[in-house]
Amino acid sequence: MEKRKINITVDGIKYQIKEGKTILESCKDLGISIPSLCYLKDISSNASCGVCVVEVKGAKTLVRSCVTNASEGMEIKTHSPSVNLARITNLQLLLANHPTDCLVCERNGNCELQDIASVLGVNETPYDKTKPLLPLDESSLSLIRDPNKCILCGRCVAVCAEMQTVYAIDFTGRGLKSKITTYKDKGLGNVACTNCGQCALVCPTGAIVERNESSHLLKDIYDENKVVIVQTAPAIRVGIGEAMGMEDGALVTGQMVAALRRLGFDKVFDTQFTADLTIMEEGHELIKRLTTNGKLPMVTSCSPGWIKFIEHFYPKSLAHLSTCKSPQQMFGAVAKTYYAEKMGIDPRRLVVVSIMPCTAKKFECKRPEMNSAYLWWKEKMNLADKEAFFDVDYVLTTRELAKMFKMTGVDFKNLPEEDFDHPLGISTGAGAIFAATGGVMEAAVRTAYEVVAGKPLPDLNLRTVRGFDGIKEAELDINGTKLKVAVAHTLKNARVLLDQIEEGKSPYAFIEVMTCPGGCLGGGGQPIPTTWEIRQKRADSIYREDALKPVRKSHENPAIMELYTDFLKEPLGHISHELLHTEYIERGIY
Amino acid sequence: MNAFEESRVNTTVIDEIVSRHKGKPGELLTVMEEIQEASEFKFLDDASMEYLSSSVKVPLSQIYGVATFYSFFNLKPQGKHTIIVCRGTACHTKGSKILLDDLSILPGCKEAFDSGESSFTTEDKQITVKTVACFGQCALAPVVAVDGVIYSNVTSEQIKKLLQNLQEDNKDENLRLS
Repeated sequence: MEKRKINITVDGIKYQIKEGKTILESCKDLGISIPSLCYLKDISSNASCGVCVVEVKGAKTLVRSCVTNASEGMEIKTHSPSVNLARITNLQLLLANHPTDCLVCERNGNCELQDIASVLGVNETPYDKTKPLLPLDESSLSLIRDPNKCILCGRCVAVCAEMQTVYAIDFTGRGLKSKITTYKDKGLGNVACTNCGQCALVCPTGAIVERNESSHLLKDIYDENKVVIVQTAPAIRVGIGEAMGMEDGALVTGQMVAALRRLGFDKVFDTQFTADLTIMEEGHELIKRLTTNGKLPMVTSCSPGWIKFIEHFYPKSLAHLSTCKSPQQMFGAVAKTYYAEKMGIDPRRLVVVSIMPCTAKKFECKRPEMNSAYLWWKEKMNLADKEAFFDVDYVLTTRELAKMFKMTGVDFKNLPEEDFDHPLGISTGAGAIFAATGGVMEAAVRTAYEVVAGKPLPDLNLRTVRGFDGIKEAELDINGTKLKVAVAHTLKNARVLLDQIEEGKSPYAFIEVMTCPGGCLGGGGQPIPTTWEIRQKRADSIYREDALKPVRKSHENPAIMELYTDFLKEPLGHISHELLHTEYIERGIY
Repeated sequence: MNAFEESRVNTTVIDEIVSRHKGKPGELLTVMEEIQEASEFKFLDDASMEYLSSSVKVPLSQIYGVATFYSFFNLKPQGKHTIIVCRGTACHTKGSKILLDDLSILPGCKEAFDSGESSFTTEDKQITVKTVACFGQCALAPVVAVDGVIYSNVTSEQIKKLLQNLQEDNKDENLRLS
């Protein structure tokens, strides 16, 4: 139904607008910017900060424009003296308890609180601190929470509960003791938190940030005895440009590679290479399950937030997970065995760094079982227990990498484009689309169809699984056999498909799950802000990257074919089993 | 851990409480209240909260949020007797801080309140001292509640006597009228 038009007056000018939106959103449509802090479109409107207040004729008090709908005849003043005074006072009250260590804060230069203080021209903090200093939550391998920097806007609580249905954190206490925390202050590392980092992505301040590892990494880069190689996830090339001052979703593969070389990495490789490898293994695993009466539906295992989610909340369904490691972990295992051997590098000297759009990857690389390369070399090199190493040594988010780029002073935008190194940098379009929700499914279909049907897929573009619908379905016809598949992003949507599985009602053979909205391109480690508009631009760039690739099917990647010929021999073979497949554990909720 | 902290509410008791209130408005609050009442040391222990969370499908973080919002809920074992000192505005102006200080003869009590706690329990779990924001009995300020009985216009002398009575485990009903 067409929405009714209403007449409003804003700052003395008359407008006709559609009914049904808040004053804040209506004014935004009209090009009038009302400063706001706690409000975040589609996520939360707690109306807790009082920064977005406006004057409405006839109203007893100032009204919060983020939760008040515009209505017929409303006369609004967005920047009157009383409005400005109230905004500044409300902000000063928040600042009374906010640390003033902006210079050394992870969010320095990218903080909504800092911005709003600047926009409103706050030049003093007249109120005394009323809250005691609280300890940091450093229990998580992925995220660090600083409750002192929290302004209680509730965005993190909203994404954790409503988008992810994880409920790791909530408001606790009352009055001055109000704070956002986990059950009994146990810390994110000790409760059912999936490390997805969506909380960090929406936090307006530095109250939740990733565990920054760049300073340790820099030491290793400058250590002459170490060979430091880097892999970049597909989603980085459509995210890092934003953090370097380019337009949203800018596709900057070549500049990114060039900048990584300038940072000092010995080799610049691509996680898309092991995304192709994942497709080889996972595609064959699916075929095996289909033909040998295996556990179906099979569910993808690339997204470590999703893995921890199912381990906590649906442990009965673990057998549905593909046993394939994620592309990041496959890369680490292949780099420290195949590549180390090929290049004659002592695996103990090889440092594998991942650039990921993801905070959960920091946790994933430290899962105790992610040391396949060490086990591979242990007997061959007679290694002692204390020499043990992980397959992946460092995981940095897109944001951390952007900071490192800025530190080195590279002129990112104007860098000449460079290519990835061989052989672990060679990838196909199928590897690229792993960044978007539906991408793993599409890539898997491109390979599985051809392996089973023995003929080329009529159309490489599986459009039904593209886009941002919460759950997408497709039906494939492979030589007359019909297969239903589904794709879900965000854990709330994953729950729907899991509940079907647990009720024995799942009609699907294969399911892709990505933890973050939009897939990895909307990951918790991506540049801030990440909105639906920005996710769409990143997705457009990813599909452009796919279309530009000369090879778009994983099984046609020449470097992957060589890896199988020279080393792995065959998909699901015994070397694959040792290096590329894994198992899961039951975690329980508490 | 000691015997107090290990105290648990029996899961069949929780099941019974949950089923009795199923579907009623405000179910969670009532259920939590009754579980606390059923607890030997009048507190919500970890195991009971976890059991409740899985049984009513309310996330643990939310149960914890509710438990910490209301001062009625206790997350630590409570003493046999409870003294609640009102710290609302009216009681404050009539000297309730002095009454709280009078209870400082209990070792550790002063330190607990000075560090921002709103509850203190003696090591022998005999006496718990708590503060509340207001009893709604401002005309009778300062007000103190001892084991659920409200005492009005309380003086230092009286609160010391009340404490002494509790320590000796006998109640002096006359104090209420004085």
